[in-house]
Amino acid sequence: MVKSRILSKVNGNILFFSGLIIVLLFVFVAAFAPYIATHDPTYIDFDSVFLPPSAVHYFGTDDLGRDVFSRVIYGSRISLFVGFVAVGISLAIGVLLGLVAGYFGGFADTVIMRFVDVMLCFPAFFLILAVIAFLNPSMFNVMAIIGLTGWMGVTRLVRAEVLSVKTRDYIVSAKVQGLPVWLILSKHILPNVFTPIFVTATLGVAGAILTESSLSFLGLGVQPPTPSWGNILTAGKDNIMFAWWLSFFPGIAIFITVLGYNLLGEGVRDILDPKS
Amino acid sequence: MIRVRFLLLAALLVFVGCSDGGSNTSAEKEVKSVKKTAEKTKDTPVNGDAFVSSSLGDATGLIYNITSDSASHDVAAKIYNGLVEYDKDLKIIGDLAESWDITEEGKVIVFHLKKDVKWHDGHPFTSADVEFTYKFMIDDKTPTSYDADFRLVKSFEVIDEYTVKITYDEPFAPALISWSMAVLPKHLLEGNDVTKSPLLREPVGTGPYKFKEWKAGESITLVANDDYFKGRPYIDRLITRVIPDTATTFLELLNGAIDMAGLTPLQWTRQIDTNQQFQNQYDKYKYLSFGYTYVGYNHTKKPFNDKRVRQALTYATPKKDIVKGILFDLGVPAHGPFKPGTLWYNDDVKKYDYNPEKAKELLAEAGWTDSNGDGILDKNGKNFEFELMTNQGNTVRTKICETLQQSWEKIGVKVDIRVLEWATFINEYVDKQKFDALVLGWNITNDPDLYDVWHSSNCGGRKLNFICYKNEELDKLIVEGRKEFDPEKRKLFYHKAQEMLAEDQPYTFLYVPYSLVAVSNRFENVYSAPAGITHNQDKWWVKKENQKYHFEP
Repeated sequence: MVKSRILSKVNGNILFFSGLIIVLLFVFVAAFAPYIATHDPTYIDFDSVFLPPSAVHYFGTDDLGRDVFSRVIYGSRISLFVGFVAVGISLAIGVLLGLVAGYFGGFADTVIMRFVDVMLCFPAFFLILAVIAFLNPSMFNVMAIIGLTGWMGVTRLVRAEVLSVKTRDYIVSAKVQGLPVWLILSKHILPNVFTPIFVTATLGVAGAILTESSLSFLGLGVQPPTPSWGNILTAGKDNIMFAWWLSFFPGIAIFITVLGYNLLGEGVRDILDPKS
Repeated sequence: MIRVRFLLLAALLVFVGCSDGGSNTSAEKEVKSVKKTAEKTKDTPVNGDAFVSSSLGDATGLIYNITSDSASHDVAAKIYNGLVEYDKDLKIIGDLAESWDITEEGKVIVFHLKKDVKWHDGHPFTSADVEFTYKFMIDDKTPTSYDADFRLVKSFEVIDEYTVKITYDEPFAPALISWSMAVLPKHLLEGNDVTKSPLLREPVGTGPYKFKEWKAGESITLVANDDYFKGRPYIDRLITRVIPDTATTFLELLNGAIDMAGLTPLQWTRQIDTNQQFQNQYDKYKYLSFGYTYVGYNHTKKPFNDKRVRQALTYATPKKDIVKGILFDLGVPAHGPFKPGTLWYNDDVKKYDYNPEKAKELLAEAGWTDSNGDGILDKNGKNFEFELMTNQGNTVRTKICETLQQSWEKIGVKVDIRVLEWATFINEYVDKQKFDALVLGWNITNDPDLYDVWHSSNCGGRKLNFICYKNEELDKLIVEGRKEFDPEKRKLFYHKAQEMLAEDQPYTFLYVPYSLVAVSNRFENVYSAPAGITHNQDKWWVKKENQKYHFEP
């Protein structure tokens, strides 16, 4: 029984469960940020700059006297949002191009895959930096650019899966019955390449969160006063010698979240991999 | 010593500055300088050692008449001399000029040059070099931004080898100090294209230090000029290291690898007090800097052309909180474009103590009320919202923007912050006047002339009155002020000008920061004066037993 085999793998998979718990926790925090935060994350108070962690300010305060705990909590919203939207964009592009390239082959395949090669030639982060320099740094631009520069892996993966799936008997049968191409693609091929897409997407969210944090850290991502883990870290960098809490807490938040998504991705792969 | 103003990229790293503001630290310094004076009577200065400083960028060329970066200026200033210079109290004294006469009510200046001055290559210095420099500065082919003052010269005559006569159309008070521009060697440059001259890389001047070596992107080394006409400087070598980032500079300072560096208020208040190694190696100097930070409003745009709106925004600006919270009290609130404590500064002007209620009243008077109840003021169906811009890489300015955003929100004004890369910010937004309001800083020059930044004729793209403030009365004062040579009479024009600026609030003047400098304590005879701290660097010296670097003669 396939189902019970998967379930038994789920039961014994610590990776999957720890990842899932972290991710759910993270989503919960982001969704209920206003109820969890103890202060207004953008409220500037010059009477309480650089306070170390205490019962009032769990994670201390930053260089403008803002509560770091509340900023980290609200920052999770940015990370979640950027992660999902960016991955959504790259999935949409990647899956579509991968399906087309894999299913139709020939000229379309050549053109798409060479374009993928060209895009992969640019070091992704520098490409993003260059594009940001032309546009204005803002959350929406960051999401769009991360998405638009991250679809190539998905395309390759989907194409490879489609190449193997399309030779199966049920596809041949569907073709013989005269089903329209879009129906074959959406009803018969897409569901069967879903597993690797899901794994890549999960890992992709982790990558997007990291990229967003790096950009914000450099001042090219989310703009002040909106808190994001990356721009909280920027304040931390200047003051790391005496205000460790400014770097430590957002750093830990990034670490745990990215770890969570990676564990989840790995876990799902293990569970759905028929060979293990 | 250049009169032309330039936009300050990092207002907190300025070295030139003025006397102490009166605090614990200054008291410490006073004790120390008394001790040092006492030592000086016992010890005679000796030659030797090197002074290592750092620069964020590499110099672009060592003829500073045609460069505009501070790295080039700082190095080249040790290689060349002008005809005149400022002394430690900011009085104008002769440099290459022995003396001068000002006649015909200020229209004519006759310079008598020093004799027996030699270029670094041994060639004698004469009036021909001065004439060459003048012609070079007004040549249309010379790519310089410092030509404006020299273009006002009506005629330039060489009387004899050591006398020149300069005539102006009308009296021009800043004329004298404009001759602090570096004098260039005619015998090496005449007939050559200066922009391609080898002297840009290996300069020859008359100054206290001679060029030795330039490792591109790494360091520039100068050696003492034994034949310097004011006497050989005591320190053998000046080494300027290129360290492209402030955090690394600070670490190098803590390691003792550089002898002088500017500090940020944060480093000053939080990071060095507890560092024993630092305390043992460095003396700290603190003095009000020659610069101020402000919010500029674009007067070509509504609603900033309404005086009441600008006054309201100033009323809603917590200057004292900004100085306390962001500068850690290492600055003073500013109310005009001059430095507190100088002759030109007028303290008796309208000040706008933080008062949000008053701000709301003024805005209501100007027609801005919250008629739709969304928390943002509006007028004729348009919300009061605008963009506040500043440059990247200056965290202090970003923090100011965030503070203003919050305090202006309280009076119902919505602000979006935009932080832009420096070159883009200046070229695409400031020069093209595509901004609503911005946070920037100006250098304060020693000469009080306000023409470049405040005269209405300088409104426009690529000019310094980019906010396009126009006030005919102020224009008149500025023009009159340029004609008066007597400082006591001249200051009255600028005191009146400050009253006008305070009333009109074309800028919201924010603060004048302190210059915070650490200098290695092995150097003797270091003290701060109105001209800053490096004004007498030629006379700094190190006791034999403290010397750190040794060179083969």
